[in-house]
Amino acid sequence: MTIRNQAAIVGIGRTEFSKNSGRSTLRMALETILDALDDAGLRPSDVDGVVKMSANRDIDEVELARALGLQNLRFFAEVPYGGGSGCGTVGVAASAVATEMAEVVVTFRSLNERSERRFGESSVGGGVGGWNAYYAPHGLVTPAQWMAIFGRRYLHEFDHDTDAFGMVTVLARKHAATNPHAMMYQRPITIEDHRKAEWIAEPLRLLDCCLDTDGACAAIVTSAARAKTCKSTPAYVTAATQGTGSRPEVMTAWQRDSIAHLEETDSAARELYRIAGMNPEDIDVLLVYDHFTPMVLMTIESYGFAARGQAPSRYREGYFELDGRVPLNPHGGHLGEGYIHGFNHIHEAVSQLRGNAANQVAGSPKTALVSSAGGVPTSSLILSLEAR
Amino acid sequence: MSDEPAPRPFPQRDRDTTPFWEAQDKHELRFQRCTGCGSVRYRVTPLCPNCHSFDHEWIASSGRGHVYSYTVVRRQTHPAFPVPYTVALAEMEEGPRVAAQVRGHDGGEIALGAPVHVEWEDHPKQSLPVFVLD
Ligand SMILES: [Zn+2]
Repeated sequence: MTIRNQAAIVGIGRTEFSKNSGRSTLRMALETILDALDDAGLRPSDVDGVVKMSANRDIDEVELARALGLQNLRFFAEVPYGGGSGCGTVGVAASAVATEMAEVVVTFRSLNERSERRFGESSVGGGVGGWNAYYAPHGLVTPAQWMAIFGRRYLHEFDHDTDAFGMVTVLARKHAATNPHAMMYQRPITIEDHRKAEWIAEPLRLLDCCLDTDGACAAIVTSAARAKTCKSTPAYVTAATQGTGSRPEVMTAWQRDSIAHLEETDSAARELYRIAGMNPEDIDVLLVYDHFTPMVLMTIESYGFAARGQAPSRYREGYFELDGRVPLNPHGGHLGEGYIHGFNHIHEAVSQLRGNAANQVAGSPKTALVSSAGGVPTSSLILSLEAR
Repeated sequence: MSDEPAPRPFPQRDRDTTPFWEAQDKHELRFQRCTGCGSVRYRVTPLCPNCHSFDHEWIASSGRGHVYSYTVVRRQTHPAFPVPYTVALAEMEEGPRVAAQVRGHDGGEIALGAPVHVEWEDHPKQSLPVFVLD
């Protein structure tokens, strides 16, 4: 038995995406969970499992269970590594329902990243343990700074200038401009805007970094059999995987032969396509975690949508436009819609398969590939309309 | 309030890493070398990933390497680190890639591959290497 098409996402929910939600992460999680259950035609009492990202340690499983009035949670698990873990929560939920350890599993991400703690701000000194003991004392204290080290090598090894990064944001903002849910709705930018944007950590500018967002998204996972009884159109989990690659580190896997590609993501891609029995040609819409623009280019290459170093050429060809060969982040992603740590990408994938996304791509997509963050231990999904 | 920068974050030592950080306080950059198979490893870890021997010795780096990548930090995110400052990832002669600030760098372009050597800065809780462009 493999995980292929054993489970499905049957419900999705989301809050508004804003600079200040005005409410707790717990409350937003509960709102989106109720919406997602309603979307599926399920009740809170149906829930018997929760899988969350370790980044949501602020929300205890038992607080969810208490608020939802659950009689029992029989499956709960946490997936580590920040933005790398979003698809992993759905994968773990799918494995739980496939093995009958749970039947209806809640996955979610809820954060007040803009109004409360911001990832781009590091906490004031003191002792730093673990991997970051080798970096924070030298002033490498934020994700943008760590990712800049990878990004510089990408530009160097493939002889690109920073317009290669700028094209990523220009397309994201183009898509967000026509998505009313997006923080950057009706606010497209040009490559000139990117060239003029302030530096954060060279070679990354402000416009290479994801938005800071308050908001939440949830997805309900159940078995393929039960999915058929839900009121929504199921998005089958055709493949799910995680990946570390060799010599992994949290955000500083810099001891590898090359850091101009993402070994975690390369490994996840191989495994994902193997499980699905698919190739890149079988993918109709692509959702790539876009915390920082260089990682988008490298992730595109890992999943086989461009040869190494060639993702910028694909951008120039229009390959990722809404009417291109494989539309990329039609919602605008973290650079344009909002930063819900990859969960808004899962929401968008399901919406595209259902045919009711804000920027619905042409040709009724039947498969969506969703990748969680690059440059960290990662995870990914292929979701399909048909369980073949 | 004083104009002194806030204290730097400092490495929290543990039973595996203490020899590494203690050596830095004596201005020595060192790496673990497996006494089973001879491979050098970094960052510190108790087991040789190549031959799975726990036995190792500490070797002193020559302190020479070349710039593998770097970033010039322009947006301040931590009170201990006024901008701009430059952090390089240098590949040392022994193989490991080590991150440290580039002393006196004004933000101009650095050619990847440029040779550097290690000098030392003493901070209240931990001495740390810095790179100097040769
Ligand atoms: Zn060995």
